[in-house]
Amino acid sequence: MSDLFMQALTFIRSFGILGEIFIALLKIVVVFSVTLLHVAYATYWERKVIAHMQFRLGPREVGPYGLFQPFADGIKLFFKEDIIPANADKPIFYLSPVIFFISALTSLSVLPFFDGFVVADINVGILFLLAMSSLGAYGIVMSGWSSGSKYAFLGGLRSASQVISYETPMGLSLVGVMIMAGSLNLTDIVKGQFAYPTGAYVIPQFIGFFVFMVAMFAETNRLPFDLPEAESELVAGYFTEYSGFRFAMFFLGEYTGMLIMSSIGTICFLGGWTLPKFVMDALPFLYQVPAIFWVVVFLAKVYAFMFFYYWIRATLPRYRYDQLMAIGWKVLIPIALFNIVLTGTLKIMGWL
Amino acid sequence: MSNSIIKYLFFPEILKGLALTFRTLFKAPVTRRYPMVKPTVAAGYRGLHALAKDDEGRMKCVGCGLCGAYCPSQCIHIYTAEGDDNKKIVERYEIDLVRCIFCGFCVEACPFGAISLSEHYEYSSYKREAFYMTKERLLENWDKYFAGEKGRQYYNKFWRPLSEDFRAHEDQALFSRIKQRGKE
Repeated sequence: MSDLFMQALTFIRSFGILGEIFIALLKIVVVFSVTLLHVAYATYWERKVIAHMQFRLGPREVGPYGLFQPFADGIKLFFKEDIIPANADKPIFYLSPVIFFISALTSLSVLPFFDGFVVADINVGILFLLAMSSLGAYGIVMSGWSSGSKYAFLGGLRSASQVISYETPMGLSLVGVMIMAGSLNLTDIVKGQFAYPTGAYVIPQFIGFFVFMVAMFAETNRLPFDLPEAESELVAGYFTEYSGFRFAMFFLGEYTGMLIMSSIGTICFLGGWTLPKFVMDALPFLYQVPAIFWVVVFLAKVYAFMFFYYWIRATLPRYRYDQLMAIGWKVLIPIALFNIVLTGTLKIMGWL
Repeated sequence: MSNSIIKYLFFPEILKGLALTFRTLFKAPVTRRYPMVKPTVAAGYRGLHALAKDDEGRMKCVGCGLCGAYCPSQCIHIYTAEGDDNKKIVERYEIDLVRCIFCGFCVEACPFGAISLSEHYEYSSYKREAFYMTKERLLENWDKYFAGEKGRQYYNKFWRPLSEDFRAHEDQALFSRIKQRGKE
């Protein structure tokens, strides 16, 4: 099986650049379809978890245990009437959900899911991810502006300032990881953690991890920082005027964004697809496991993050807007800067 | 001071809240899955109306109109006529369910225990006509929901009218307190 696979791979590679493009396209198709399935079931799982945290049952009726609920929702959204407001700025209105969705999906290309499987193994992976997550804010701002509705506009403005404010602490919190790994390449960061005595950067970088966790919620507009789409204040925020499939694109983009933030957290702090080296040395048969099975470990860590998203959502109320800004600028950025200085100093001293 | 620093740094309230939601995750949900699991209807429930029949199967209603006079939403319409040997007969007895508020005053008012509210509550329909109860349909309801022992039980326990005895049942909803005061 594996032999045949390698032979096929060498055969495709013999076509030169065309073969490489074909392999890249194949990887893109796999990552795209698998991620969208995960997104679909992330919504199902979220509804289940939050329901049970509130003494409810969650989706039950569509299929066994409501397992087909995501597909039912998708079909419903697909066939809904596509309403465009009369005073909307049409070209931008059409474009903004696409930008939001594409920027979320593009981030997937640099994530290493297991050893050797990454669509684009570029050496500025973290910077690329940060850039793409900021690009998503353009989709939000443009949708808010073009909808011609005050609620959408306020949502877009809030999102713009929120993402800008939290982009900074998020980037700074990852600097500690970069210093420790000595690389911006995500695969190298994971491998660096595997070699590191604690097995994951979350222990030496606990300050950075905390800052990352808080910024993660704000970046993806999730509770307790979901002010851009605060239902009780802004109807639905920036996508108030969207319906049907355009709304679905925002929805999928948001959940893809959550998966990507969870993946960044997994790769940078929890050791990606690897188990710590001391665990591997204690159980040497794990070295025999083929690379593709380690995606299970990766997904388990990602879903731990996703569960934390839902857990927080079920627990905490929404922050006030000035509190959100105060946490971002007055708490998280100083902490992150302190963490960089501390990590750098320890690195120079040779204690890390 | 040190306490507030701990609160500022480790936010114990948030951790407490998280612990609570996590514990709740493993508790049994309180949701009742309605169409599959029916709620238990307590005796004396005020559901769909029915016109009572006596043991010979005749309608108990004499058409006095007290129920219609009492009805706060004025949804009971009674039309009487003169029948053979000058007897009063009830030609039409109609209840507009869309207007009815299910207060049960008609049951309290009836001196013969003729109008009643059954335990049946699932009668949704897409047509308005389905919510306009005629005399025939009300009598049919009696056979459906009160036939036999159930009707007798209800009669003795909940409606026992003044024509039966003036010392009505103590649990009778509306007049029970007034009666107790009279006794003292």
